[in-house]
Amino acid sequence: MTSKGSDPAEMWRTMLGEMEKGFNAFATQTMTSPEFSRAMNQAGGVAAGTQKQFADMMEKYLVSMNLPSRAQMINMGERLQAIEAQLHEIKSLLHRLQHNSAASDDGYAGTPRPPRTKRPPSSSGGPK
Amino acid sequence: MNATTGLDFASIPERIQTEVQRAIQRSIKGVEYIASSGPMPGATPKDTILSRGTMQLYHYRPMADEIYRIPILIVMATTNRGYILDLAPGQSMVEFLLKRGYDVYMLDWTAPKPEEKHLRLDDYVLGFIPECIRAVQNDTGETDINIIGYCAGGMLSALYASLFTDGPLKNLVCFTTPIDFTQMKLFQNFSDRRYFDVDRLVDSIGNVPAEMIVTSFDMLRPAARAMGQVQLWENIWNDEYVKSYRMMDKWGADTLPLAGEYFRQMTKDLMWDNKIFNDTMTVGGRKAVLANIEVPILHVVAEHDHIVPYEASKHLIAKVGSADKEEVMLKGGHVSLAAGANAVKRLWPKLDSWLGERSV
Repeated sequence: MTSKGSDPAEMWRTMLGEMEKGFNAFATQTMTSPEFSRAMNQAGGVAAGTQKQFADMMEKYLVSMNLPSRAQMINMGERLQAIEAQLHEIKSLLHRLQHNSAASDDGYAGTPRPPRTKRPPSSSGGPK
Repeated sequence: MNATTGLDFASIPERIQTEVQRAIQRSIKGVEYIASSGPMPGATPKDTILSRGTMQLYHYRPMADEIYRIPILIVMATTNRGYILDLAPGQSMVEFLLKRGYDVYMLDWTAPKPEEKHLRLDDYVLGFIPECIRAVQNDTGETDINIIGYCAGGMLSALYASLFTDGPLKNLVCFTTPIDFTQMKLFQNFSDRRYFDVDRLVDSIGNVPAEMIVTSFDMLRPAARAMGQVQLWENIWNDEYVKSYRMMDKWGADTLPLAGEYFRQMTKDLMWDNKIFNDTMTVGGRKAVLANIEVPILHVVAEHDHIVPYEASKHLIAKVGSADKEEVMLKGGHVSLAAGANAVKRLWPKLDSWLGERSV
């Protein structure tokens, strides 16, 4: 086997690791400057404003084309999710009812839960 | 071994053979990588027992014949999905806890809907957490509860604990929980109040998109993503590495948007005014001071945490009023602390020994 220090593959990995550290350290130093914060937030602010204006314009365009907008589709999706959530609740309620009545059931809901009697290994004298 | 160069000439053919084999494997596995959909994390059997908007409460099915009396509620960070704690069999903190005899629930989040943009910290601390606790109480028949909060989930749990001092909380465990936000240097600079118009941002886009959150995390270590790709290519012959990489990559890409008002409040109250650290935080008009926390508390921090550095998290234990309190610093980063090989060896056994004796 080659020793770690002379293994070209290992040297390549070490070099990459050092490069990553160096680049991250340099970038971190740059990004802690107030100039960076100002430039970043100016660009971000413009992008957010443009995005909002574009979204408003698109909404009007879709209405004129008699097409649903993204917001309306999202709204529809949300209503479906609300229905799913209610189904979940009903399912969970049914499971609990089934569990309470101790009816025969091959699913998990009817399975009795383990007793809450466990003690930590040290207190019961077993190995920790 | 050649004394001058340090090279073992006899091993060179063997080394070349290994590299050639790996190069061939890389080509084959590279095609597989592109063509396959990747592993499915979060597979430990569970039931959703509560679901309301962004809030999801899961109950994981017990895996032991006998369980501890007090159930655990895991509160996930609001930016990330909870399956980081349930990646795959053998790499799942949830599975570990179940096998060690804990009854585990998780408060996980989905992307907040546009109409949930009004959600504030108050809704999380005074609404979602207590609602989930009630659901766990109903489901188990037990009054007491233990909470494990991860990152921002730890912060929300600590705020809850500071307000509900006579409540059902019995023990609190926090992972990498930020308290002094002035020490999160890059986030501080990104949100510099002189240049960052949070009102304009939230008023114009509502919920803060996930892309923005991912970018801000990536900016903390800008070379990490590119280097990750290089390392992936180098290790693509190794199925275990690829599986682990894909799960972590999927999780990173699955970052959640943040509710607009929550983000505004985080920026103003925490990033700008550092209210938790300064003991001036209010939630729903009530003072949330960490000194009010008196339950036993364990805070686990990571030695190489680049998201919540130790300087930002170390004040939790110092500030709480609990007599039974402990801080543990473990090797690893913000994520590898809780998920990954380090977690299996370090965090999980510590968690088990600390919680076990307090869960009866």
